[in-house]
Amino acid sequence: MAQPPLIEVDAVGKSFPRGGAALRDVSLAIGEGEFVALVGTSGAGKTTLLKTINRLVEPDRGRVVVGGEDVARLDPAVLRRRIGYVFQGIGLFPHMTVGENIGVTPRLLGWPKARIAQRVAELLALVDLPADHAGRLPDALSGGQRQRVGVARALAAGPKIMLMDEPFGALDPVTRDSLGTAYRTLHERLGLTTLMVTHDVQEAVLLAGRIVVLAGGRLIADGTPQALLADSRNPAVAALMAMPRRQAERVQALLANGEERHDG
Amino acid sequence: MDDRLAAQLRLLPDYLAQHVVLSAAALALGVAIALPLALLAARRPAVRWPVMAAASLVQTIPGLALLALFYPLLLGISALTAQAFGFAVPALGFLPALLALALYSMLPILRNGVAGLTGLDPAVLEAADGVGMTKRQRLLRVELPLAAPVVMAGIRTAAVWTIGTATLATPVGQTSLGNFIFSGLQTENWIAVLVGCIAAALLALVVDQLLGLIEWGAARRDPVRILAGLAVLIAGTLAALSPLLASGRTTYVIGAKNFSEQFILSDLIGSRLEKAGFAVAHKDGLGSAVIFQALAAGDIDVYVDYTGTLWENVIGRHDVPPRDAMLRETTRWMAANKGVTVLGALGFENAYALAMKADRARALGVRTIADLAPHAPDLRLGADLEFLSRPEWAALKAAYGLNFKATQSYNPTFMYRALDSGAVDVISAFSSDGRIAADRLAVLGDPKGALPSYDAVVLLSPRRARDQALRTALAPLLGAIPVELMRQANLMVDRANDKRSPHDAAEFLAAHLGR
Repeated sequence: MAQPPLIEVDAVGKSFPRGGAALRDVSLAIGEGEFVALVGTSGAGKTTLLKTINRLVEPDRGRVVVGGEDVARLDPAVLRRRIGYVFQGIGLFPHMTVGENIGVTPRLLGWPKARIAQRVAELLALVDLPADHAGRLPDALSGGQRQRVGVARALAAGPKIMLMDEPFGALDPVTRDSLGTAYRTLHERLGLTTLMVTHDVQEAVLLAGRIVVLAGGRLIADGTPQALLADSRNPAVAALMAMPRRQAERVQALLANGEERHDG
Repeated sequence: MDDRLAAQLRLLPDYLAQHVVLSAAALALGVAIALPLALLAARRPAVRWPVMAAASLVQTIPGLALLALFYPLLLGISALTAQAFGFAVPALGFLPALLALALYSMLPILRNGVAGLTGLDPAVLEAADGVGMTKRQRLLRVELPLAAPVVMAGIRTAAVWTIGTATLATPVGQTSLGNFIFSGLQTENWIAVLVGCIAAALLALVVDQLLGLIEWGAARRDPVRILAGLAVLIAGTLAALSPLLASGRTTYVIGAKNFSEQFILSDLIGSRLEKAGFAVAHKDGLGSAVIFQALAAGDIDVYVDYTGTLWENVIGRHDVPPRDAMLRETTRWMAANKGVTVLGALGFENAYALAMKADRARALGVRTIADLAPHAPDLRLGADLEFLSRPEWAALKAAYGLNFKATQSYNPTFMYRALDSGAVDVISAFSSDGRIAADRLAVLGDPKGALPSYDAVVLLSPRRARDQALRTALAPLLGAIPVELMRQANLMVDRANDKRSPHDAAEFLAAHLGR
């Protein structure tokens, strides 16, 4: 790679005395524009690794560099305003309107009001929500609409990096698929760099250009979806990657079966 | 309108104003302390436990006791500040009531504050961090607004408690709506008690509704409701304050203990001073021990006490000299040791005495306490709230070997009721009590002279010692009230039928002075 990576995780370790997924000596470099999925079983350390990047978790060892700067030397609030963060719990502020939720980071950055209002309108359109939703309270929205607002809020201040922790995990399969696809399009259009934690390997395979597998706090595989699907040397990786392939085969078999019956 | 109701309602503006000021100040102080404490306790579990335990402990202390405890505490602080800065913090009245009520108001605010702040959705807090808020921004923009409705509910509870408990400020010398209740209970003026209760309840209801409006506004992020509620609360407090701001003259504070004779004499002294052109404030219903300390400290300027009480409780002597000698020695000792002026005796005694129903005494052949002693093991003694813990009772027991079957303390009014109903056989009566004649009681003689005399004397505080105008205004009262006259005045207030107010009785006394 000619240019230096945008995110660099260097030999990071973290342990929690009272439980919590630990990290053991994880190193990872993510280039600008990449869409990386972090997969692994529960307790593998996916979320912990993601949160060391915006300092919601402070590593015990190693360092994290974002855009050439060691994050440990940055004010965490300033760092987080530059990085979009979307998580399963969504966490919309219930006392603020949708518009105020979306505009929260620009307001923290001191943008003028008119610019914030314009930005909120842009973002509502971007995540495919009607403009009149700006004045509603989050309570009045469906789960899928809320996470659209969550994504819009994360994008509001124009970050280059998006950290997403099982962003669509709590949604129904249809909404989940359409939001995933819609986000993938945004990622391309806005030239974002995305790191997305998911336990759904199928989602990872369909959305990401690169999959990183964690197990027991260690990085055990890192490659394109095709490469990992083809790789059978590591049994843990093979087991994980076998699932979407098996599911796809079963669906295909069912479809073929149906055609036969139809013919008969 | 009924005269007695009208008489009580005339007192309402002043009592209500003082009650509102006290409650508002106590609540404001309570909120000012409890809110930051709740924030700290919500952040640090190590702080939370001791803070909540302390607040709960305070809540278990009966309200009246908590108020009373602040008096000796403030007396100590008062002595310290007097030494250190040459100015004494007032130990009676507003300050102890304020501190006790503020402490009392803290628990609901703390409890709801901690619950509101620790009960927030963790996802919302994670989002607040995630979007790049600093700790302070997170607190001000997310945690406080979201906890506000729960916190307001706590403040609302605290307000209702404070307004109710503030009626107990009366015995520590702070005028409140409790004055209606305490003096009404004493003189069996149920109209006064009702006026006090209803006024306090209405005040609590109105404040609760206004705070409810603010709470509702906080829950729905509706600044109009919040501001409307606040505006009415502030306007109401200011309106209540207006009668207090009106007077600017020198004000003499007249103290009274918690019984009818004291209310009458305090009213009598008050009207004489008002006629002489002075402004007057009353602190009625003070405890016997508190009232002298209050006079010596200058919290009150004048009140009537009794030589026997001062002799034993203040001077600390247990011998029983003749009446004149005791008056002379008390006068000398007070001036020399406390700077308190004994202006003179009013002319009657209100001595502790044992009394029985006259026919019962005749049947038993009892005429003196010495005659009573052999019958005592079969008899029950009813005493007022103080008597059994006073040195006079110890002296009486020792001198005559009294040993009753049972002893029971009553509010003085109910003590007479108990004697009448046969619940007790002997009571600790007062020689000036109108009910002695009215209820046909026999006052038992004291052949061994165990009980000291109790000459009613007018006492002036040290800072009024050289106040000639005050002395001149009060001079006509000295030696002018014989015991029969005082009994009649007391009876007007204490009797069950055709009951009159202490003010009426004081006017009766004023009209008959010296006869």
